[in-house]
Amino acid sequence: MSDFDAIDSLLDAVGHEAELPPHQVRRELRERARLSKAQVARALGVSPSTLSGWEGGRDPAGEARTKYAYLLDGLNAKLATEIEAEPAEEQPVAAVTSTSSPVPGQDEDDVELLAVPEPCVLCGRPAEQRVAGFAQHLDPSDCQTTPVETPKPPPTAPSVQAQEPRTAHSPRPAGRKDTVPRGRAFQESSGPADLIHEAVHAALAEHRGDVEAASAVLLKRAIPDAMRLLDETRKGARYDVIAHPQIPDILRKQTSKGADQIWEARPKWTRTELPPGKHEVTALDINGAYLSALKTHLPLGQLEHSTGFAHDRRRAGVHLITPPAWDHDAVLPNPIGQRDEPGPLWVTEPTLRLLLRLSGPKHRLCKPPEIHESYTSGATENLLEKFRIALKDARDTAIADGDELTLEYVKAMYSKFVSTMGESNYNRELYRPDWMHIIRSQAFANLWMKALKAHDASLTVVRAMGTDELHVIGDWRRVFPEGRSVTEVKVKDAYSAGTDAEAGTGEEQ
Amino acid sequence: MPEKNIDFGKFGASGIKGSDAVARQLDRLAGHIATPVTVKRGLMARLHYLTTSDRAWQAAKDAGLAVSDRTLKAWMQGTRRPSKANLERIDAAYRAVRRRNVARHLTARLNREGRGTRVEIHPLDQSGVARQLQRVVAHRTMNVRRWDKIVGSWAAGDHQGLDEAWTADVLPDLGSQWGQYEYVKNIGFAA
Repeated sequence: MSDFDAIDSLLDAVGHEAELPPHQVRRELRERARLSKAQVARALGVSPSTLSGWEGGRDPAGEARTKYAYLLDGLNAKLATEIEAEPAEEQPVAAVTSTSSPVPGQDEDDVELLAVPEPCVLCGRPAEQRVAGFAQHLDPSDCQTTPVETPKPPPTAPSVQAQEPRTAHSPRPAGRKDTVPRGRAFQESSGPADLIHEAVHAALAEHRGDVEAASAVLLKRAIPDAMRLLDETRKGARYDVIAHPQIPDILRKQTSKGADQIWEARPKWTRTELPPGKHEVTALDINGAYLSALKTHLPLGQLEHSTGFAHDRRRAGVHLITPPAWDHDAVLPNPIGQRDEPGPLWVTEPTLRLLLRLSGPKHRLCKPPEIHESYTSGATENLLEKFRIALKDARDTAIADGDELTLEYVKAMYSKFVSTMGESNYNRELYRPDWMHIIRSQAFANLWMKALKAHDASLTVVRAMGTDELHVIGDWRRVFPEGRSVTEVKVKDAYSAGTDAEAGTGEEQ
Repeated sequence: MPEKNIDFGKFGASGIKGSDAVARQLDRLAGHIATPVTVKRGLMARLHYLTTSDRAWQAAKDAGLAVSDRTLKAWMQGTRRPSKANLERIDAAYRAVRRRNVARHLTARLNREGRGTRVEIHPLDQSGVARQLQRVVAHRTMNVRRWDKIVGSWAAGDHQGLDEAWTADVLPDLGSQWGQYEYVKNIGFAA
């Protein structure tokens, strides 16, 4: 028999799906009830990100759906009674004309007397009653800022109550809404970006508005300030910044002035021959190339040695590879840069990922590289993300305000941060030559991808050079937006080249 | 001390004494002359460093470089080259004098007026240990406030004293597991 019961219940379940309100309403309901995603998710037994999905348009299924529908129903009912309670409560108050005793017009069991006063959800001062689960003052005279839902003695007829709270004795009803952002409790108003502005203001104040002197001081302080900003942005973060791991020998400098064995794949390529005819070449400059390159897969801890061909996407580091042959040198630069000697070489994660990407099914521009050895560690792309965003925001604001001083300061911060994070004596707080190489390579890989983008949009790429220089022929404005933001490019130079097919292009610049 | 390792490396773990790692990092921070003493440039740089003042030369003599002024003059003029044994003595004397000279400044930098310096401890390498004998040893960081004894014994070349200052005074702050960090892969800090 029990078999049939089970089948019956299964049959019941089929075809009967709980109704859910549209997704915008789901979020609104939760926020109006001042519940955080984490709270709701815990109650439903799902992760907060799943809940975000449901509020963003996805639909839950099965038992979770039933539970969620139940919760939303409950919230809906609660909030509806709360709104209805308002006029219901006010009639008796109006009749008595302002008494100091709490006169609950709504259901008695919704109002609880609290033994220990809790902060009122509306004004924040201790309240002794809880209505519908929220501690609040019943008497509006106790409540300093008048909330919309709070019952209050109406000075006018009850029929105009709807607009009344806006016009009545609330000093700043709109301001209150702004100071309490919905659903985002305990957010710090001052972010790490404030550090940058504070430093600039302090330097300006110290030198009484002398921009030159302030700029000199700020540039001198750029490295320690960048480290402070990094610390600030890693507050409460999941991973520690590990600053002094043991560095494998390949990452150590051979001599005091020499280089280590890592090949950063810096592009230095000029097209061998132009298409026949005379062309207008535009030299484009990529804005904040190193700033954008801070978003890259950085190894977190100690680099561990491994051999073999497999590439683990969750790890990053440096790899000894044999690069694939490159047959497109006539139109596109070699992704490993201008390498003179053949054979295996140590490349960093961005270069390897670029090669793997180009060998993939989407591009098929070369064969996959052969990996022989690797020094890798578990990686994340988000280690410097907040740091990058803070600098980018400060940069954007400075550009919008025409604030050259902040712009210079931000630029010094990120460029010096990258160049001194290795074995430099100017920054001993951070000793990660691997990161330095990886970030630089990422900048080069980004430039390379821009060259590919231009090529795919049938522009003629003439030169790719350094971190941020791209020379193209053709209408580049339909490919790259022009401007000063990091996603845009600016024109460095425009020149004409190539009277006949053999003329080199490099000389005219 | 019961937490101390008696037979380190018995099961294949590798690492160096924590105090050696500290000395290595202090040496790195002291910024020695990079060119080796066997090259003329490196030799001359060391000799000049040791003869900047009478006090420096006296310190070099105390550190075991016992040569006559005549020999020194010949070395400086390049008419004679020091023997291999003397090259080693020059290098050792240079290191000792350099350490002694930077010790006071380095201590002040590391103490930071009592705020101390954050130290990263990278645990020993267990890749040579059989799987079932491997243990979870996490990366640790700690703040060390008093560096006087550590830098003092490093400057005096007193390995025993440095080991004592590190193992007995600093490491136990890590908690009851501190014995796991007696041998390490690396110790890092900035000054």
